[in-house]
Amino acid sequence: MEALKQLCKSLVQPLLAVVIGLLTGAIVIAAVGESIAGTYQEMWKGAFGSFYFLTSTLARATPIMLIGLGLSLAFRAGVFNLGAEGQMVSGAISATLVALYLPAPGLVKMLAALATGVLAGGLWSLLAGYMEARFRIQLLISSLLLNYVAVLFAGYLVSDPFQDKTGSAAMPQTPMLEKSVWLPKLFSGMSLHAGFLFALAAALLIFFVIRYTAFGYEVKMLGQNPFFARYGGVNRVRVMLTGMFLSGGLAGLAGTVEVLGSHYRYVEGALTLPNFAWTGLMATLLANSHPIGVIFTSLLLAALQTGAMGVERNTEVPLELASVIQAVLILFISAKFSYDWWKNRQNKRRESHGAA
Amino acid sequence: MALLDLLDWSLISSTVRMVTPILLAALGGALCSRVGIFNVGLEGLILVGAFSAIVGNHFTGSLLLAVLFAAAVTVLFSLLFAYMTIGLRANEIVVGVAINFLALGLTTFALRAIFDVKGAFYDKDMAGLPKWQLPVIGDIPVLGDVLSGHSPLVYIAFVAAILLHLFFTRTVTGFRVLAVGMNHTAARSIGLKATRLQVLAIVVCGVLCGMAGAQLSLGQVTMFSEGMTAGRGFIALVAMMLGQSHPLGIVASSFLFGLMDALSIRLQGLSLPTQFTAMLPYVLTILAMFFLKDKGASTASGQQSTR
Repeated sequence: MEALKQLCKSLVQPLLAVVIGLLTGAIVIAAVGESIAGTYQEMWKGAFGSFYFLTSTLARATPIMLIGLGLSLAFRAGVFNLGAEGQMVSGAISATLVALYLPAPGLVKMLAALATGVLAGGLWSLLAGYMEARFRIQLLISSLLLNYVAVLFAGYLVSDPFQDKTGSAAMPQTPMLEKSVWLPKLFSGMSLHAGFLFALAAALLIFFVIRYTAFGYEVKMLGQNPFFARYGGVNRVRVMLTGMFLSGGLAGLAGTVEVLGSHYRYVEGALTLPNFAWTGLMATLLANSHPIGVIFTSLLLAALQTGAMGVERNTEVPLELASVIQAVLILFISAKFSYDWWKNRQNKRRESHGAA
Repeated sequence: MALLDLLDWSLISSTVRMVTPILLAALGGALCSRVGIFNVGLEGLILVGAFSAIVGNHFTGSLLLAVLFAAAVTVLFSLLFAYMTIGLRANEIVVGVAINFLALGLTTFALRAIFDVKGAFYDKDMAGLPKWQLPVIGDIPVLGDVLSGHSPLVYIAFVAAILLHLFFTRTVTGFRVLAVGMNHTAARSIGLKATRLQVLAIVVCGVLCGMAGAQLSLGQVTMFSEGMTAGRGFIALVAMMLGQSHPLGIVASSFLFGLMDALSIRLQGLSLPTQFTAMLPYVLTILAMFFLKDKGASTASGQQSTR
């Protein structure tokens, strides 16, 4: 009973935020003079209306989930990693190059590409972590700056040395990967690929690591009380660097499965324009860095986005409805508004009653 | 094309133009950081400014009113940031990111709702900001080419930098602002209205970002397109950090970024990849942080463990 109560309590805040987000969305829809119920119906249909749309939503949630999981690990260790975008891109481009040019049979190539993606993302993230640990350069800032360096460098690679020059138009993209390294689709004809299973597995793995291993305990301690952690003999630098490596590695994996599972080549902007990195950040924040929670919040955010695509296809309401709702949602969540505020008010009222 | 051909006076002139939105926003960011608030929402604030400047211009037909309208709307938007971070004590980085999303979503949405277009709004009858020909300086050969013929907002940006510098070094309120940023509790204990000063800083930041947006949409091109800030807010943030939140330092660092911006357009004529010139400011900032790490970093310190 007590556990159930606890669960309800932790759910009140996100749910209230979702409601407020949807209400704001309704105001915005009304402002363009469309039917609110009709638009939300289209949104629901666009996200879950058919098996095809459902799998599209799951496919969209895949990179968001992986990035969110990685960030949750960093946040739990108390490091604010803002560099998911660069880590994702450096993982994706390295994996693409390995998948293109490694002379090996298909399956080996695929596994090598996946490993490279994780490694490249992790190392890129480790660079920021190392600069923080060794030179006391704020990780928050350096990880943000390294995004630009990675994205621009990848952009250079695919618009010059590794560009696909076979097509008529010179698009900034690499040549197509051969079929043998493609990640298998979970259902034929649908966009959902095996990367989704990786994301689910990663969520469970992180959940168990955080809960049952010494490393997980150290991470938690470091994030919650660094002084106590140091007193208890936690090697801050080692835990922080490991956390950063895993965090970046998961972002790198996110980029890699996008390439191997849906685009089959590195296309400039294909990873950055959908804002996967920032959406992943939101998913983590919404879930309060809980790995199992991240599964649900990234599904929610992905559903908002694919749903908004359905809205745009079938009504006059633009796609950006999703970013409005998302932003409002996150504003309210981040403010720790709803539940705490309500509780405080109740307490205050009780106090004044007691005094009277 | 030789390297020297690239470095002529018109390059400097276009740098001055390019630098303005970055400089204005970075000054706003610096003001926030001086009161201890790390404002990641600059990008969104500029975007809102750019859009509302076009809206103001379209409906009033007056450029002065358009700029004022842009500033007013951006201030409202920045008050949301202030309420969330100071009022409700939300993490400023999270709120900043959310503000950026909200700005992108709302401007695109309003573009559709108000002008019924998607992508970009352009009206050939719409006038851009005037170009001021300075009376005496404009006649001096080289100096005139560089300094004259810019929109009023360009001059305002540089005046604002000097004023902000004087504000921090010469006025009592300036000292108080600095005190709040350095030690919130101590400032409060000597009776300073710390919260009020913080909100004030965010409001002024809103005005500056609104003008930055107006310069972007009315000073340079006279149009609005979705997400037209294209990362300038983040560049302003970086310029602010490189300039150590010091107004004159920010002028210098913004110039560096503006020069890179102007150069990268020129370099498209050469075979040098533009990605590398675009990358340079970020690499330079990272390198600069090796030398400047402790000063001025107080703004974001403590972020590490607060999440």
